[in-house]
Amino acid sequence: MTVIETRSEAPPAVVARGLTKVYGTGDARVHALRGVDVAFATGDFTAIMGPSGSGKSTLMHCLAGLDTVTSGSVRVGDVELTGLSDKQLTRLRRDRIGFIFQAFNLLPTLTAEQNIRLPLEIAGRQADEVLFERVVQTVGLKDRLRHKPAELSGGQQQRVAVARALISKPQVIFADEPTGNLDSRSGAEVLSFLRTSVRELGQTIVMVTHDPMAASYANRVIFLRDGALVTELHQPTPQSVLDTLVKLEASAC
Amino acid sequence: MLKTTLAGLRAHKLRLLLTSLAITLGVGFIAGTFVLTDTMQAGFSQKVTAEADKIAVAVTPKDPEATLSRKDLEKVRAVPGVREAQGLVRAAVPLLGKDGKAVGSSPTTGVNVLTGELGRVTVTSGTAPAADGEAVLDENTAKAQGLKVGDTITVLDKDGGRHRLKLVGLIDPGVDQELAYTGAVGFTTATALRLSGAPGFAEIDVAGADPAALKAALARALGSQATVRTGEELAAALARQAGVDTEFLTMGLLLFGLVAMLVAALVIYNTFNILVAQRTKEMALLRCIGAGRGQVFGSVLLESAVVGLISSAAGLAVGYGLGALALAVLGALDTPLPTDAAASLSMRTIVLGLAIGLVVTVAAAVLPARAATRVAPVAALRTQVEEQTFRTGVLRAVFAALFVAAGLGVTAWGVTMRPGERTSLLTVMAGGALTFLAVLILGPVLVKPLSAAVGWVPRRLFGVPGRLAVDNSGRNPRRAATTTVALTVGVTLMTLISVLTASARASLDARLDKQFPVDYMLMTQSRESAIPRSVAEGLRARPEFASVVQIREAEARSGERTVIAGTYHGPVKPALKAGSLSQLGPGTVVLSGFQAKELGVRVGQSVPLTTKKAGTVSLRVVAVVDEQSSELPPVTLAEDAFDRYFGKVPDAQVFVKIKDGVPEDRARELVDAAAQPYPTVQVSSSTEVRGEFDEALDMMFKIITGLLGLAILISLLGIANTLSLSVHERTRESALLRALGLTRPQLRGMLSVEALVLGLIGALVGVVLGLAYGWAALQTLMAQTAFEVPLLQIALFVAMSGLAGVLAAVLPARRAARASIVGALAAS
Ligand SMILES: Nc1ncnc2c1ncn2[C@@H]1O[C@H](COP(=O)(O)OP(=O)(O)O)[C@@H](O)[C@H]1O
Ligand SMILES: [Mg+2]
Repeated sequence: MTVIETRSEAPPAVVARGLTKVYGTGDARVHALRGVDVAFATGDFTAIMGPSGSGKSTLMHCLAGLDTVTSGSVRVGDVELTGLSDKQLTRLRRDRIGFIFQAFNLLPTLTAEQNIRLPLEIAGRQADEVLFERVVQTVGLKDRLRHKPAELSGGQQQRVAVARALISKPQVIFADEPTGNLDSRSGAEVLSFLRTSVRELGQTIVMVTHDPMAASYANRVIFLRDGALVTELHQPTPQSVLDTLVKLEASAC
Repeated sequence: MLKTTLAGLRAHKLRLLLTSLAITLGVGFIAGTFVLTDTMQAGFSQKVTAEADKIAVAVTPKDPEATLSRKDLEKVRAVPGVREAQGLVRAAVPLLGKDGKAVGSSPTTGVNVLTGELGRVTVTSGTAPAADGEAVLDENTAKAQGLKVGDTITVLDKDGGRHRLKLVGLIDPGVDQELAYTGAVGFTTATALRLSGAPGFAEIDVAGADPAALKAALARALGSQATVRTGEELAAALARQAGVDTEFLTMGLLLFGLVAMLVAALVIYNTFNILVAQRTKEMALLRCIGAGRGQVFGSVLLESAVVGLISSAAGLAVGYGLGALALAVLGALDTPLPTDAAASLSMRTIVLGLAIGLVVTVAAAVLPARAATRVAPVAALRTQVEEQTFRTGVLRAVFAALFVAAGLGVTAWGVTMRPGERTSLLTVMAGGALTFLAVLILGPVLVKPLSAAVGWVPRRLFGVPGRLAVDNSGRNPRRAATTTVALTVGVTLMTLISVLTASARASLDARLDKQFPVDYMLMTQSRESAIPRSVAEGLRARPEFASVVQIREAEARSGERTVIAGTYHGPVKPALKAGSLSQLGPGTVVLSGFQAKELGVRVGQSVPLTTKKAGTVSLRVVAVVDEQSSELPPVTLAEDAFDRYFGKVPDAQVFVKIKDGVPEDRARELVDAAAQPYPTVQVSSSTEVRGEFDEALDMMFKIITGLLGLAILISLLGIANTLSLSVHERTRESALLRALGLTRPQLRGMLSVEALVLGLIGALVGVVLGLAYGWAALQTLMAQTAFEVPLLQIALFVAMSGLAGVLAAVLPARRAARASIVGALAAS
């Protein structure tokens, strides 16, 4: 309980206001996001859910400074993203944001350890060796550090990606379907590491997923439909997430 | 299948553009060579035919040294059917410049300018000489000497007497290479004969009605001493002569064209390999839906054929432009070449150009096409693109070992052969070709260690992007090897040429320093013994000079052979092959190595010498000197003996050495003053000789490197091509790096460093090969040549290659940096 108290007092890690994203022009216009207002508390683990094409990835890309917004604003920490140059956005990603993608997270020419240290090296920062040991220990990669990605299983590759995202202590980690390509056991492993990092390291995580099981690892689930936020759940269980989804689908028809 | 192929071509047209450019440039160069030489040949033919049209029959002496006499001319004129006959005079008549010295390094050629029916010379301004005191000059000489119609010119007759004539016109020497080189001064026939002292005519031109009948009649009248040809036959012979000259040019230029095509072939091979690798899924899908191996093979070959044909056609257009450009440049430089004919693209050029381009492209695509047939249908179902791995196969190891052994063996064999002979050079060249094949086979094995070595600095200098770039450069060894080998070809040849020119320079310097220690040399324009002895004697008396050596020469016979006999006065120290110079005296002789070999004699044996004044004498050989390092005549006698045999001949050459401490300006003034009264005596200093030689070498070096530049340019296209294809393959990777915080400039820098490493690898291998084969070639050219490594120049090549690589990366890098991260992440 005390943990939750301190969490609510800290300023939110990411805040979006009136977020709109339109792709294309004329007949081909697609409103991927229609005025999304959302905040992600520091040290919280949030899942974004919704049917396919509802704008989950677009929302994540806009929040992470990977894509520009049509209107609205995004703040990461105390930095307003709208109006930043490409260079400033790159700097922001480098220093404040961690990423875990669905696939192709690692550079094939680098070993697992080199991949983990890559963001810090790009930033020219020293790794926190204590943290490094702890993260590697936690994700269970101690004896796989010298392996190239091709020599690792899919689950191991995603664990390397998790370790890489954690090592630079970013303000927020964005994960886009991190377990989408994994079997359920490897997926469960990766998700519990994410949850552990939130509990033990106070890491903020925003995860896109379409899997109710995965969403249940989060503290909070927000639901998107047709580019708009429709509802949210706190302390979700697989069943409650599934029920909400079914309700959403039904009201859409 | 045809439809799929064409659709594929359209889809990949940007990627194929660079490949096409490689072929276009290669074919363009070859076609340009043909356009240039064909046009020149056509121009020659046009000109000689136009000239020869004016004459029915031309009579020339059988012996090119001899002339036709006035009596011959009378005989010709007496033959029935001859409307008109005129003799052509052609003999040295030195023109004096404004400084009173004879113009040019060889005497101006005096000719008679005919008018009327047989007038073959084109008068471009003024009139032809009509009276004794009138003369004309060729345009180039007049321009160089600042003379114009109306001026007075001075020429020397054969006894050195000066004659002043009025310049009444300018002439065009046409395509006559000799006249273009020496310059031409024209007179009336009588004046030309009187001034030049020519014993007769070089040619008699005849006008008449029936050339064939005239030819027969004239041949009967003149007997066996003369060659009689109709005007048509003369024109054909002249055109053939010109044809031999243009053929040399064609062969020389084609050699560079072939190098360019070889490089283009490597580039094409690489591109198709990469395209096939990238389209594995597409190929597999085709296989899944039932395409046979043959069909896949055919579709890749068809693609290459279309590319080859289109780019060769473009190459023909480029070639036409290049040919026309070269003609324009040659025309602007006042070369004695017929450049005014319109550039023409002959059928042969079109067929050859298309054939070469097509064959090279398709041949280069055969191996990649075969690789495409090996794609298993199941590959269509795999999601993860496999990282290309490379293992050194047993077969590769065996072949590489074989070629290395053969290349080195053949080279070593060539190097140990007797130098100066063509076979040894050819053997070394064959060894070079084998070694190059070995490098081609070993390339993929060498790339990793080389990129690690070359990348050592960039890895430390450029942080994370640098490290990633170096890793990437060796990531696909096969691809990297082919890319860099294309550059290696050009750099090897460049290095080879620069080693050869530097060594030639060093050898000449050494020779000038050691065996020819003079500061000034005096000789006449015609290279004859014509410097009065008083010139050397006057110089010797001056305290400013350390030594003065006189060389005299005269023609003599030894048995059946004509030899140059001579003597010297003054201190000489020639390099001896055998014997000693001290025994030279009455009844003895010193021979050059070449002369001794030709006469088949050794030290101690005797040779006969038929002299002008003492009949045939027998002389004992006391020494043989190395002619490469001595200025002594081939048959050297003692001074007294020479005088007795040949009379008081003037000096042919005088070598002067300055005493230490005497300023060069002062010495030069004295030597010039001594030579001033004799217009044909020319003074040259060893610095000048060096300078001229250096200039000639520099010129040659520039032309060759310019021509090799094409091969280098094509290999750069190859680097750009490989990089842009790699960039395409690594779209996801680049997006990931950008998401993780790599800035756009860093991403661009990463690709630049990768290109830099590739360029440096290619250059380094090229430098090693070029040095090795430069050395080997030197061993086969001459004994005792200096091996000089032009370090600065080679460092420049390496630096330029690296820089060029970086330049080649500009476009691919821009494309990579511009790509949107989100778009790239989505495209999986
Ligand atoms: N680059 C793009 N151009 C045009 N439309 C896009 C683009 N990216 C996404 N969209 C559209 O925006 C909507 C939201 O897409 P996305 O955010 O990928 O949904 P999700 O991740 O929830 O499946 C979809 O209708 C999709 O077709
Ligand atoms: Mg998505």
